[in-house]
Amino acid sequence: MNFGRLAWIAGLACIAAASAAQLVPVERINPPPTGTLAAPPEIAATLKRACYDCHSSATRWPWYSRVAPVSWLVVRDVNLGRKEVNFSDWGSYYPVTRRRKLEWIGRALREEKMPPWSYRLMHPSARLTEADRTALERWIESTLTTSPPPGE
Amino acid sequence: MNRYSPRVRPMVFALLSAMLALPAVAHSDGSGLNLRFADHHFTPQNLAVPAGQPLMVKVLNDSKETIEFESFKLNREVAMTPGETITVRIPALSPGSYDFYDDFHQDVPQGAIVAK
Repeated sequence: MNFGRLAWIAGLACIAAASAAQLVPVERINPPPTGTLAAPPEIAATLKRACYDCHSSATRWPWYSRVAPVSWLVVRDVNLGRKEVNFSDWGSYYPVTRRRKLEWIGRALREEKMPPWSYRLMHPSARLTEADRTALERWIESTLTTSPPPGE
Repeated sequence: MNRYSPRVRPMVFALLSAMLALPAVAHSDGSGLNLRFADHHFTPQNLAVPAGQPLMVKVLNDSKETIEFESFKLNREVAMTPGETITVRIPALSPGSYDFYDDFHQDVPQGAIVAK
């Protein structure tokens, strides 16, 4: 069997595998919100722009979220992101949970872990400027100050 | 009575001392510190540990749901699938209480690692 024939077979196998992968169902769902975050307009706008695709129930599903195997990764990341923090369910969190999540968000901002670089690569508009980070950190700080830990 | 020569005696003494000290060393490095998640709560809920020593805490998710072992004070967050065991490495702690919880289920009672 010559190399050209082998390459053809390998190519056809790849196309068949990719086509079969499209048949694996993935759930791209945006469930109804249970208690959307109430924040100042500029903070809400920044969160929507940079965080909501993974951390809310108002995900804007990009075109590549319909193409396997990328779709599997996108859906997995969104599901995990919503479990970590879901701004659409913010109102249903216990006060102590809201506090914990705000603390973690603050840390992620300070350490510049969010939004992740892989997401920023595909969504340049999600980049946070220094001013955005400062505004978010101030909002977190003031919210934590006005909602003392339980028991205090 | 005097079975060992004076040259061997210090070596025997050192060996016996090392054997006696072994359990203390094993405890101080945190081995044997275990947390288990089952029936929607962590056991034990309060884990006493020695302060000032690095620790390794094994956490077992013995439930049928994915959880996230998380502690803001310890700066740790690890998602755990059902049946998974993780080892959480913790640097030497100052005396105090360091709470942990399951971040995926807010109704799970929080626990604490208490360093003394």
